[in-house]
Amino acid sequence: MRTASRILLAGSLLLALPSSAHAKTSCMLSRVSGVFETVRAFVEQQIAPGPQKLKPQAVEPAPAGGPSVDLGDLSQPEVVERHLRTAVPAPRPDLKLTVPNGQARLGDFTIGSAETVTGHLLVLSGDANVYGKLLGNLVTMDGNVVMHPGGVVSGDILALHGDVRDQGGEIGGEVRTLSAVTRPPAQADSAGAASTITGVGRNVAGVVAVFFTLLALGVGLVTFARPSLDVVSDTASHSFGRSFITGLIGQILVLPTFGMLVVGLVLSVAGILLLPFAVVVFVLLVILGVVGGYLAVAHAIGETYTRRRMARGTTIASANSYRYLLAGLVGLFTLWGAWALFGWVPVAGEMVRAAAVLVTWLVGTVGFGAALLSRAGARGNFAGRLIPPEALTDEYLWATPQFGVPAVRRPESGPGARPGPRS
Amino acid sequence: MLVLALAAGSAGSAAAQAMRPFATFRQLHGESRLQARLDFAAGQLRVVPGRAGELYRMSLTYDADRFVPLSHYDPTANAVTLGVDRVGGPGFRVVSRGQLEQDAVVELSPRTDLSLALSLGAVESEVELGGLRLGDLSVEAGASRTVLQFSQPNQIRCRTAEVSAGAAEISLLKLGNSHCDRLRVEGGIGRMTLDFGGNWTGSQRAELSLAVTELRLRLPRKVGVRISMDRFLASFEPAGLERRGDEWISPGYEKADRHLDISLRTTVGAVKVNWID
Repeated sequence: MRTASRILLAGSLLLALPSSAHAKTSCMLSRVSGVFETVRAFVEQQIAPGPQKLKPQAVEPAPAGGPSVDLGDLSQPEVVERHLRTAVPAPRPDLKLTVPNGQARLGDFTIGSAETVTGHLLVLSGDANVYGKLLGNLVTMDGNVVMHPGGVVSGDILALHGDVRDQGGEIGGEVRTLSAVTRPPAQADSAGAASTITGVGRNVAGVVAVFFTLLALGVGLVTFARPSLDVVSDTASHSFGRSFITGLIGQILVLPTFGMLVVGLVLSVAGILLLPFAVVVFVLLVILGVVGGYLAVAHAIGETYTRRRMARGTTIASANSYRYLLAGLVGLFTLWGAWALFGWVPVAGEMVRAAAVLVTWLVGTVGFGAALLSRAGARGNFAGRLIPPEALTDEYLWATPQFGVPAVRRPESGPGARPGPRS
Repeated sequence: MLVLALAAGSAGSAAAQAMRPFATFRQLHGESRLQARLDFAAGQLRVVPGRAGELYRMSLTYDADRFVPLSHYDPTANAVTLGVDRVGGPGFRVVSRGQLEQDAVVELSPRTDLSLALSLGAVESEVELGGLRLGDLSVEAGASRTVLQFSQPNQIRCRTAEVSAGAAEISLLKLGNSHCDRLRVEGGIGRMTLDFGGNWTGSQRAELSLAVTELRLRLPRKVGVRISMDRFLASFEPAGLERRGDEWISPGYEKADRHLDISLRTTVGAVKVNWID
């Protein structure tokens, strides 16, 4: 009975604990967990085998053609390190290595105060303690160099993955230490993620800005030059291939034409005066042709998409050029939007970007060609619909889902049908 | 979440750099002079007076993927080259600040006559030359931000100090302590501060040739200053200097014990003068 009452009391106390107490409890738990992790890491460190301490010994020279490391020039420590790593992938007691004009040692090595060692000295996996004289260069790999008072090294010292502790010795040459590579992964990851997010934000902002700029230009075109835009748009729709070829040739001929214009004006005396204006006008016309053409193609895409939706029975309140333009631009910028969001993904991002560039170039080329073919919307020769005028009524085009296909694909009603005006 | 996770993974692999510590020094063995050349392509550099028993010392952390450490001493010429060199030939692209994380501290002996040449790329550097025995100085700065100062008087007379700055922000402070007879400065696009404060022991001559540079001159009142100026599309605030023909002269120039004669050519820029006591 007492036990049951204690359990009930404990349960009620737990239930009665305020939220702050819960927070304290979880904090304590996390601390306990941290302490546990620390202890576990310490135990693992003690249990795990450390770097093997090699018995100090001399390394026999390798037979002819065997591994050899020249310690004569230590001015490029990375090169020396590379040669050593190649010659000695892992120091072993049976290692054989030739050091021209010198010797190699495994494990700790000490030059006594009364000793003089002549030639270069390589110490692998051990410390070099210098009390006496070394007449040559000294290199340690995975070990330290300790220059004791009275110790002399006449040449250079290089400590690869170790330190040089000068406690009062004399070093005739240069001292170098090259430590292991350090990579701060946590910092790099967080910094990289932050920079990626910043980059995505920048790209999205850029794409949105370009989108709204083009939309503003398009709205201006629809408002002030709608007939011309319609003609260019229809030219791109109905003469797509022809527009593309024309745009391609136009791109190729832009620079030669510009050159001819400049040369022609320069050669004619009066033309020189017109040259600055002509250059500006030419550039503006080209920009207008490309941008206007692009917007016209966007208009055509939006119109086609909207009409298809209406043909499927979707009710659209206001099917006008503004909507066509918006729909077309949204469609064209979908790829750029995808690039802005996922452009940082290796390979896939580049592919999306390439696709976006290709589509933009294609649309720009077709639009430029359509603008050239239609003389910026002045001529409708290539914009005519090859269907009878009666097929262009709203009822026939949009409200007849049983046909559900674009009007241009429908059969002509009779021979000799002529392109009619747009509804 | 997926986007963030992928971003972290991808960017982490791209941003992790192989930074590597390298150190070098040479004991002083009675050398009386040292020609030191510091080539530092990118990162942060600090130059300070060194320890008494050492000729030079460099502590460097470098990007092992893109650079190699430079440390070469020629005992016949008493010349040392320190710094980092690019892997794979000249030129490199700095595409993120992460590439500029390598840093170096160079210590130079205050006991030997020093001829110092600095070649700085995309570098933020602080160069303290006060207290050294500087015989001549040459600085070539690319797209760098450099502060070079003589906080202590130079121990010997300096013949020439030449500074050539590209698209840089460079400050030369306490030039009065430099004891340089002649200062030549060429500046490209950037901002430059020339502070002639310090302990003047003789007169100095400065030849400044600048383009698209905002120049701020800090002139000591105790020194007679004369500026001969050739400027094109450049503004100038004389701040008390008196005009005599093509020259601007400080009041009491003739009576001053020490003179600072500045020959200034500037194109498209601004020159501002501040007086210091």
